[in-house]
Amino acid sequence: MFANIGEDIVTAVLQGAPPGTVYALVALGFVLAYKTSGVFNLAFGAQAYASAVLYFKTHAEWGWPVLPSLAVSVFVLAPLVGFLLESLIFRHLRTAPPVSSLVVAIGLTIAIPSIVDLALDFQPRNGQIPLGIVPNGNSVYYPVFDLYSFSRDELMAMGVATAAMLALAAMFRFTMVGLKMRAVVESPRLTELNGLAADRISISAWMLSSLFAGLAGVLIAPRFPTLAPGRFFDIVVVAIAAAAVGALVSLPRAYIGGLALGVAIALFNTFIPRWANDHSWLRPMQNNITPALPFVVLFLVLVFMPGLRRARFAADPLAGVDPPPRSTVIPAPISASEIVRRTLGTTLLVVTLIVLFTRGDSAFLYLAGQGAALAVVYLSITIITGLAGHISLCQGSFAAVGAFTTYQLAARYDTSVLVGAVAGALVAAAVGALLSVPLIRLSGVWIAIATLAFAFFFDAVMVKFSWTGAPSGVATGDLVVPRPVIGPWDMASDKSFLAFLLAVLAIATVAVMLLSRSTTGRMLRATRGSEIAAQSIGISPTRARVLAFSLAAGLAGLGGALLVIQQESVNYDTNFAPFAALFWLVLVVTFGARAPEGAIAGAATFTLFDKVVLQGTFIGWLLRSPDRVPGLLPVSPKWRLVLFGLGTIQYASHPEGVLEMARARRNRRRAEDDDHDDDHVELALEASV
Amino acid sequence: MRGRDVTLAAPLLAAEGLGKSFAGIVALENVSLRVDYGERVGLIGPNGAGKTTLFNCIHGMLVPDSGTVSLAGHDISKLPVHLRARRGIGRTFQRIELFPDSTVRDHLVIADRVRHGEKRFWLDVRRHGTPRPDEMQRSDEMLALFGLSELADEPIERLSLGQCRLVEVARALMTKPRLLLLDEPSSGLDRAEAAALASTLFDVQQRQGVAILLVEHDIELVARFTTRCYLLEAGRLLRAGPTAEVMASDEMRAAYLGSLPVPT
Repeated sequence: MFANIGEDIVTAVLQGAPPGTVYALVALGFVLAYKTSGVFNLAFGAQAYASAVLYFKTHAEWGWPVLPSLAVSVFVLAPLVGFLLESLIFRHLRTAPPVSSLVVAIGLTIAIPSIVDLALDFQPRNGQIPLGIVPNGNSVYYPVFDLYSFSRDELMAMGVATAAMLALAAMFRFTMVGLKMRAVVESPRLTELNGLAADRISISAWMLSSLFAGLAGVLIAPRFPTLAPGRFFDIVVVAIAAAAVGALVSLPRAYIGGLALGVAIALFNTFIPRWANDHSWLRPMQNNITPALPFVVLFLVLVFMPGLRRARFAADPLAGVDPPPRSTVIPAPISASEIVRRTLGTTLLVVTLIVLFTRGDSAFLYLAGQGAALAVVYLSITIITGLAGHISLCQGSFAAVGAFTTYQLAARYDTSVLVGAVAGALVAAAVGALLSVPLIRLSGVWIAIATLAFAFFFDAVMVKFSWTGAPSGVATGDLVVPRPVIGPWDMASDKSFLAFLLAVLAIATVAVMLLSRSTTGRMLRATRGSEIAAQSIGISPTRARVLAFSLAAGLAGLGGALLVIQQESVNYDTNFAPFAALFWLVLVVTFGARAPEGAIAGAATFTLFDKVVLQGTFIGWLLRSPDRVPGLLPVSPKWRLVLFGLGTIQYASHPEGVLEMARARRNRRRAEDDDHDDDHVELALEASV
Repeated sequence: MRGRDVTLAAPLLAAEGLGKSFAGIVALENVSLRVDYGERVGLIGPNGAGKTTLFNCIHGMLVPDSGTVSLAGHDISKLPVHLRARRGIGRTFQRIELFPDSTVRDHLVIADRVRHGEKRFWLDVRRHGTPRPDEMQRSDEMLALFGLSELADEPIERLSLGQCRLVEVARALMTKPRLLLLDEPSSGLDRAEAAALASTLFDVQQRQGVAILLVEHDIELVARFTTRCYLLEAGRLLRAGPTAEVMASDEMRAAYLGSLPVPT
C-alpha cells in the first residue's frame, strides 16, 4: 500500500519534471528581463511566439534542416526583437513608473503576434503540430524505472533549461557584464556617471533576455497542439507564478519554482482523482483546480508574501533630473471655440446615428449594438484605471460574471434578461468588492498581476461549473440568451435593441462623468495621486479601493450582460477570456482612460474599425463607389491589433490618452498662452519618446 | 462630566514611552513627548536620530513596538492613519506628496469635503460635483492666507517647490487639524524661501491657533519658530525644554558636533 503510494509519488515527480522545466525555462527568461531592465515584461510570451512561429515556418513548412531554422529563429530573430524593443521603446521608459512599462508590455503582447503573423503570412490552424529541435522528438521515448517515459523533446528541453540556468547564474555572479547589467537596473544615469555606456549594456541585456524568450518558445512549442499567441501568454503567467516564489529576482529559485509547480500539478493529477472516488464533492474540483494551480499559487504568493509585496521597484536615484511630468489638467477652452466644437461633435453624432438607423444594413446594426454594449464594459476601465489608477486585468471576468448570471437566471428561472442584467451587475460588484480585499496591501504592478491571476483562475475554474458557465459538454457559445421585451416593446430586432443599448450607454456615460466629478471621484483621484497624502487628510484607502473595484466590476458586469443579450448567446472564449480582454485595456488606454470618450471610441474601434476602415467600406463610400477602392484594401483585421497594441507606447508620456492629449493641445494653442516653458517641457518629453 | 474634565486636562498630544526597532536596530527607545494646545514644538537631532520614526509613529504610518499615543486624552495608538487624520492630526511630507493632475483648489476642496464628510451623493448629482459657494469661500480664504490666490486654478505641476510646500500645509489646514505635523518643511528650499515659509507658517499658526510639531534640520528655523523643543539622538531623548535652553545645552553641542575633549 505504502510502496504503491511511494511509487505513485515518484511517477508524479517524473511526470511533472518536463512541464516543470518548461515553466522554469520561461520563468528564467522572465526573471532575466525583469532583473536586467526592471520591466515587467508580459510581452515575453509574444517574443517566444515570434521565434516559435519562425521556427515552424522555416523548419516544418519550408523544409529547412533543424540547425539553420534554429539559428534564424532563436539566434537572429530573437535578439533582433530584443534590440528593437529596447532601443525603440523601453530605453525611453527607464524612468517611467513601472505601471507605464507594464501597459506598454501588454500592448506589445497584443501587437507582436499579429506583426509576426502578418510578416510571415502565418495563420494558427488546428492540426499543424509544432516540431521540436530533435528528430522524432515526440515519438522516441526513454523509460525511467518503468515508471515514466520521457520523450526526446522533454529530455532536450530539460537539458537546455538547466544549462541555461547555470550559465545565467554564472554570468550574473562572476562576469563583468553581469555586474554592469545589475548596475543599469539600479540606475542607468548613475551607471553612466561611472563611465559605463548604460545604453549598450541595457541593449545587450534585452537581447539576451529575448534570446531566452526565443529559445523557450521553440522548446515549448511541441507541448502545444497548435501555435497560438494565447497559449504563450498563458505560459508566461504560469512562469510569473514560478518566478514569484523567488521574489522575481532569484534565478535559481525561479527555476526551482517552475519545477515545483510542474511536480505539484502532476501530484494533484495523480491523487485527486483517487480521493474523488471516495469524496464526491472533489469531482468537479478534479478537472478545474489542477490547471488553475499556478494562478492560485501566484495569487496566494502575492497576497501573503510580504517580502514580495514590499519589494520596491528599482527607483532611479537620479530620477529627479527629469523635467517634472507635464500636467494633464486640460486648460480651459475659449468658450466660442468650445461651443463650435461641441455643436460640430453633436451634429456629427446625430447624423451618424440617423444614417445608421435609416441606411445601415443588418451587419452594421449588429456591430454597432455590440459596440454599444462593449462601451459599457469599457467604461468600467475608465473607472478603475482612469479614475482610481489601478491596472485591472480581470475586467473580462467581471463582465463574464454579469453574462453568466443573466444566462443562469433566464435559463433556470425564466427571469427577464433585463432583471438578469441588473442582478449580474450586482453579483459582479460583489465579486469585485470581495476580490479587492486581499489586494488592499498591493500596489501598482502587483495589482495588475494579481487581477491577471484571478482572471486565469476564473477562466480555469469558475467558468466550468454548471451553476456559473457551461454545463459539462456544452460549449459556452451554445448558451442561448433571449432578447428582452418591455411591455409592448419587443427588442428582438437588432435595430430596436440597438436603440435600447444606446440609451443605456448614454446613462452609463453620464453616470461615469458624474462619478468622476463627484466627491467620491475626487477621493479616488486623490488616492491615485498619492495614497499616503490622501490618508493624511482622512481618506480611507481601503474604502477607496473597495469602492473602485466594486463600481468597476458592477459596470463591467452590466456591460457583459448586455453584450450576451445583444449576441443572444454567451461566447465566453471569444468575448471574456483573459487574453481577449487584454485588448480592451489596450484600446481604452490608447484612446484615453480618463474620460468616457476614450471608452466609447475604443469600443467603436473594437467592433467597427475592421469593417469600416480595414475592409475599405469608408473609402468606398468616400469615393462613391466600392469599385474604386484601392487594391491595397481590404487588409487583414490583424492590423487592428498591431495599430492599437503599439498605440499603448504613448501611455508612458501621455497617460491621458490620444483624445485628451489632442484636446489639451488644441486648447493650449487657441489660448495662445505665452507660457513657453510649458512648450519646452512638452517638446523635451516628445523628443525623449 | 468627569470624562470631559479629564479631556481638558490632558495635553493635546501625549506620546508615552514609544519604542520601535527595525530588524534588531533600535530606532526609538522609551521616548515620551507632549504637545499642548496651540503650542509650537520642535523635534531636532542629527541624521538617524529617529525623528522621522517618531513622527511616523505619531502619525500612524508606523506601529510602535511599545508605548502609547494619545490625542486630547484619547488613546489613538490603534487607529489607522486616516482615522487619526479625522481626529485632528494633519501633516506635510518631507518629499512633497501632492495629487498630480489636480489644481491647487482641487487639493483644498477635497480636504474640505473629507472634513465635512456628510452624505453628499445627491448634492454632487445636483451640482455636477462643482464646489459649493461655502466651499469656494473657505478655500479662497485659505488661499489668501498663503498668498496662493493667483494660483488657485493652476495645476500643481506648474508650481515651484516652495509653492508646493505651501499647498501641502494649506491642504492639511483645510481639514481643521488640532495638531499639525511638519516634516522638514525647509528641505529643498533656499534660505530666503525657508524664511518666507517660516513667517507664513507663523502667521497662519497665530490666526488658526493650531499646535505645530516641527521636525527640522535647519536649527535656525527651529530656534526662531518654536518655543519648546526635543533633542533626539540615536533613538533616545537627550534633552527637552524651552528651545533656547536646549539649543545652548551641552547635549546639543555633543549631539551635533560630537563630544570634544575639555581643555584643561
